[in-house]
Order: sequence, then C-alpha cells, then structure tokens
Amino acid sequence: MPDNQSHILDQNAGFGETEPPIKVAARDVCVAYDGKQALNHVSIDIPDRSVTAFIGPSGCGKSTFLRCLNRMNDTIEGARVTGSLKIDGAEVNDKSIDPVVLRASVGMVFQKPNPFPKSIYDNVAYGPRIHGLALSRNDLDGIVESSLKKAGLWEEVADRLNDPGTSLSGGQQQRLVIARAIAINPEVILMDEPCSALDPIATAKIEELIDELRENYCIIIVTHSMQQAARVSQRTAFFHMGTLVEFGRTEDIFTNPRDPRTQDYITGRFG
Amino acid sequence: MSVIAIVALMVIVMLAGGFYVGRARAIGAVNGNTVRLHSLPNYHGYYVAIWTGLPAFLLLAAYGIFGGQAVERLTFSELQREASALNARLEERLLSDAEYEEFRGAALQLRERVNAIGDDMQRLRSARGEERDPARLEQLQQEQREALNSATAAEEAAIGRRAELVAAVGSEAEAAGASMRQLAGFELVQAPREQRQLFLSDAMQIANGALSSRESAELNAAARIVARYQDRIRYFVAVLALVFAAGGLLRTRSQVIPDFRARNHVERLITGLLLLSSVLAILTTVGIVFSLLFESIRFFSTVPVSEFLFGLQWSPQIALRADQVGQSGAFGAVPLFAGTALITLIAMAVAVPIGLLSAIYLSEYAGPRFRATAKPVLEILAGIPTVVYGFFALLTVGPAIRGLFTWLGFDDVVTQSALSAGLVMGVMIIPFISSLSDDVINSVPQTLRDGSYAMGATRSETITRVVMPAALPGIVGAILLAVSRAVGETMIVVMAAGQGANLTANPLESVTTITVQIVMLLTGDQEFDSPKTLSAFALGLVLFVITLIMNVIALRVVQRYREKYD
Repeated sequence: MPDNQSHILDQNAGFGETEPPIKVAARDVCVAYDGKQALNHVSIDIPDRSVTAFIGPSGCGKSTFLRCLNRMNDTIEGARVTGSLKIDGAEVNDKSIDPVVLRASVGMVFQKPNPFPKSIYDNVAYGPRIHGLALSRNDLDGIVESSLKKAGLWEEVADRLNDPGTSLSGGQQQRLVIARAIAINPEVILMDEPCSALDPIATAKIEELIDELRENYCIIIVTHSMQQAARVSQRTAFFHMGTLVEFGRTEDIFTNPRDPRTQDYITGRFG
Repeated sequence: MSVIAIVALMVIVMLAGGFYVGRARAIGAVNGNTVRLHSLPNYHGYYVAIWTGLPAFLLLAAYGIFGGQAVERLTFSELQREASALNARLEERLLSDAEYEEFRGAALQLRERVNAIGDDMQRLRSARGEERDPARLEQLQQEQREALNSATAAEEAAIGRRAELVAAVGSEAEAAGASMRQLAGFELVQAPREQRQLFLSDAMQIANGALSSRESAELNAAARIVARYQDRIRYFVAVLALVFAAGGLLRTRSQVIPDFRARNHVERLITGLLLLSSVLAILTTVGIVFSLLFESIRFFSTVPVSEFLFGLQWSPQIALRADQVGQSGAFGAVPLFAGTALITLIAMAVAVPIGLLSAIYLSEYAGPRFRATAKPVLEILAGIPTVVYGFFALLTVGPAIRGLFTWLGFDDVVTQSALSAGLVMGVMIIPFISSLSDDVINSVPQTLRDGSYAMGATRSETITRVVMPAALPGIVGAILLAVSRAVGETMIVVMAAGQGANLTANPLESVTTITVQIVMLLTGDQEFDSPKTLSAFALGLVLFVITLIMNVIALRVVQRYREKYD
C-alpha cells in the first residue's frame, strides 16, 4: 500500500510547475461507518481552479471521500473519519473548525436536485441569509441575480423569481441548486453525480456550466459516466474498493492508465 | 334445530361437494393432463362452489334481514282486512257524533287563530321605527299562548271522545260475537302509530313462544296469524335456497370444459366481493347522514333554522303543563357552538405547541434509543379511554385550577370549567399531533436536509427554514384532524366542563358543548317527537358538517403535500 501511494503522489507532483496551486491536500484519510471500513488511506492533492473527477464502481468510496471534504459525514451516525485533510493548509477535521464555517466555503450539489420548498429567489438567498452576507435587500437582490447568472439560469427565471423552486424542470432545478451553492461564494464546489437524474440535454447544460465555473472555483465531481469525466475534468481519480487506485491528468488516465484495474474499468471490463 | 339452519348446513355441504365436483370434472375432462386446462383445477372447483353457495346464502341473508318485516306487513294487512267492517262502523259513528264534530271544529278554529296571531307577531317584529310596540307584542304573545292552550285542550277532548267511541264499537262487536281476529284487527288499526308497532312486536314474541309484556285474547289471535305467515315464508325460503344451490351446482358443473376461463370468473367474483364490502361501508355512512337529516328536518319544522343557528338562548325544556313558564323551550345553539369553540381552542393551545415541539425533538434531535421508547409511550396516551381523562379532569385538574385561581384572588371559581376540560383534552390530543407530525417530518426527504447542511446551516436553521416549511401542509392536516377530534370529544367535557349553556369567553366558567347536549338530550326517557329530543339530531347534523368540512380540508392539504414529494 505505501508503494502505491507514493506512486500516486509522485505522479501528481509531476505537473507542479505549470498547474494551479494545490487546494485540497489529503493524507491517509480513512472513513468507517459503524466500524465498517469504507475508505482506506486515501492521499491526494487536488489543484485549485480546475475540475477533478472521481470515478469508480458503486461503493468504491468516492462519494464518501467527497463528503469528508465538507464534513457531511458528521450528519451520519456512526461515521468515523481519521487522517489529515487540509483545504488551503487548514485542517478540516480539526476540532476547532466549525463545520458551519467550513461548509460556507465548500459548497455541495447533490445527485437529485433538492430545491427547498421555497421560491426561486428564496432558494438562492438561503445561504446569504443564514450567513448574513447581504447588508440590504439590494445587496441580496444583487447576489441572487449574479448567482443565477453564473449558473446560467437568469434568463429562464428572471421574470418568475417568486415561483416555487420545485416548479422548475429537473435540469433547471439542478442549476438552481448550483446557483444556491455559488451564492455564498465558496472556494470549493463538490458535486455528487450532479447529472445522474437528468436527461442528455440538461446534462450538456450542466457540463457547460461546470466548464465555465472552473475559472473561479475548485470543482470536484463524482460521476458514473466516464464520458462525462473525460469531457469536463482536467484530472481524474479512480477509486476501487475504498482505495484510491490512480490519479492523474484525465487524458493520461483514459489513454494510458498505469494500473490494470483502471484499465479494466475504463474499458468496461468491470463496474 | 330450525329449518333455516338445516338448509344452511345443507348448502354448505353442497358447496363443498361443488368444489370437488368442479375440480374432478376439470381434471377428468383432460384425462389428468392439467396443463391443457385454461385454469388450474382448483379454480374450476371454486367456480362451481361459489355459484352453488352464493345465491342460496344471499337468499338466506335477505330472509334474515327482511323476513320479520315481511311477516309483519302480511299480518297487518290481513288484520286490516278482517277489521274493515268494524272500521266502517266506527267511521259512521264518528260522522254522526255531534260531540266529536264540535270538538274538532273548535280545535281547527283555535289553530287558525294561533296562526293568525303568529302572523301579526311576525309583522310586528320586523317592523321598524314608530311601529315597534313591545307592549303590543307582549299582549299578542299572551293571547297566542292562551289560544294555543285552548286548541290543545280541544284536540285532546276530540281524541278522548274518539277513544270512547272506539271502545264502544269494540265492546258492541264483542257482544255481538265478532271473532277475536276481527277485534285484534280493529284494535291494531285504531291504535296510534307507536302502539301499533308495540302490538305487532308483542304478537311476534308470542308467536315465537316468548312471554310478552302483556297478553290478551286479541294478541293471541294475532300471534296465530303471525305464526302462520312465519312458517309459510320459512318453508318457501328453505325450498328456494335448496333449489338455488342445486341449480347452481348443476348449471356450473356442465360449464366445466378445458377451455373454460374459470380463473377469470373467480377473480371477477372476488373483485365483486371486495367492492361490496366497501360499498357497504359507504352505504352505512350515507344511512347515518340521512337519519340525521330527516330527524333534523322534523326539528326544523317546529324551530326555524335561523333561530337554531343564531339564537343566543339554549334551554331545551318542554313544559309538563301547558301554562308553565318557558313552556316552548329555547333552541338557540350559539352558546353550544361558542362552548365547543372555547374548549377546542384551549385544547389546541395546549396540544399544538407541545405536540409539535415533541415531534420535532423526536424526529430531528432524539437518538434512536430514546425515540424507540418515547414514541410508543407517547402513543399510549392516545390509548387511554377518554373516561379516564374525564376522571383526571374532574378530580385533579379541576380542583387544582380552582385552588390556583382562588389563590390569585378570583371569586367563585367553579371546579367544572372550560379550562380544566380544555387542558385535559389538550393532553389527550398531544399524541395525535405529535405522532402525525412526526411521520410528516420524517417523510421530508433527507436530501433537503443535506442540502441545507451543505449550505452551512445549523440544525435549528435547517428545521425552521427548510424542514418545517416542507412539512407544513402535513402538519396543518394533522392539526385539522386533531381539531375535528376535539370538536367531537364528549366524555371529558361531560365530566369536567359542567352543563350550563353559558355564552361566555371566560374559560373559568362552566360551558357546554354540542356533543354534551346531544348526550343530555338523548339519555333517559324521551318522546321521539318533541322538539327537545329532535334538537339532538339537528346538533348532530351540525357536528357532522363541521367535522366533515374539517376532514375534507385536512385530507386535501395532506394530499397536495403527498403529490409534491413522492
């Protein structure tokens, strides 16, 4: 196992000079649910202002690792996280870190669109309100508008901001949820299979959006679709049975995988 | 053993036989190669068995339900025929009897006068300005009362005279050697409606060999007629049932061929059976509504709807003597509506916050172990009989409230108050609200909570801003269901709220509710044609309408909520 890890880190260190700085640095992260090991000694360095895709078969630990990054595992009873996980050099699992503060800088988009049972406006204004980001109604209007614009939804909903968020179509709901996440100006955006409940056209829109957001955010996306990983990400990490098998440039992973398990997975021999 | 029981047993035997016949014939038709059958052999068996048993049992059931009535009808019409000569004689006597005619004429005139005075009073009441004349109204009221009393007296005299003539005709006929059956018929036809029923049921009892409350030669004669009809109908039904069973068996047996779709037929019959059960439940509800409705209509023919719904005075006493004060009773139900509303309000003020907060704690904060014990314990609260809550309110809460408010300096605080009944009813309703709300809160998708937590919301922010709004329609539905439960609750209020129909908003006074008054009006000896008793049905109708509206709204709200998240 140590061999394997150093190999991953080496490969990662390879593109140090021309690439953006490291945003998330994990060392030996392990997660167990009720004593059952779900993630084994994952070490990875994820760069800023780019898209990193996590791929792997179901139950391989990719979502579990994603949920470590904003401590969503805290909400699950019996979950235990060990190891070191730093965002911008600050230890995420440190007792002194308030998950509320952490989550304000690490946004998350889920598999199924989950707009709150509120108006479109209130959905986007939710985060700024609870974090007190807007000083006035004008401020809040501005945040809502710019977030919806960044999420590419503004043109479609500008004239019906007071309609319930659930009245939108699935793809629009997912972009609304992304706008909601952007509204609190996070640094990292986690996406847990954001397109798995959407049709191909809505998926294409979301992928386009992810590509635009990459300019300003560190985006980590879990996906089951290898085509999607190839289309939207610059780096890909392959997880298998709770371990990180291989991590590198997306084109390298897909054209020239080093590990036979990665080879098998991307050629469709299992998973 | 009675004939019917023997026939029922025989039909059961034939039914079982039908199953084996159908099954065996199906197997025989394909020489044991059951794969060639459209339906499994058992379905052929069921098919034959059902058609053997079902019509026969339906007939027997119809006999059980309508048999007694048919016997009564037949007996009555036969006795009526027997008595026709005596009835004609009585009619003649009544026509030629000057005394009877005089009483009737007087009664009619007096009734007209009462109505005329009533019209005058109505005109005076609706008059405005100078025309208003309370003294004149008072006078008219007095006059009407007198006229009414004389009218009633005249009517009673007429009835009395008629009874005398009936007795005279009866004894003359007896002396002249009329048959017992003629006399029984005469007695039956001339009796008032309720006594007619009593006469027939006595005759039925005697015919069935039971001791009747009274026995007479006439009744025995009638009982013999009853017994004759009973026997005839019974044997007719018995034979017909056996014919049905045998006919069904033979007919369906011949239908069994390999291609026969027995399974589809059986499935259809089962569907029919299930439909029948649900229709039965619905019909019962409709029947209850109609019985309420008809009695209420009778009530509203004596007391106007507007007076009932908007009157401020409730004292449904009916005078024993005609000249008694307040002899007509007062049927203004507003104090009852107000009392019901007050107690419901107090109960909800207790139950909604406590129930809702405990639901939030149980579903969002409590650990699985605490939840596993607390929820059943809370639900036990719903299983305590309301009488026990009544004790608690009467013996513990009532005196405690009186003690507390006396200590605070209030005078004359009563033990039986709206407050004690409301508080205890609130406690009773807590599990309703908490259990239903808990379910609703739990059914809010976890993804919404995750979404909120991922935005950096705290637990309480997530609950107040996301979970509660999402669960609100369901919670409103739960509260409305609880309200209709509170409105309909009787026992606690009977025991703990007193019975004074006070129109008050003061929770320390005793009040009474719709349900309590229904209980009061219908317990003990009652005549079923006085407005006092009938008003109970009108109250029941109001109660039914209120709870119906509430339930409809609640179900609507809950339904809309379901559509959203499933």
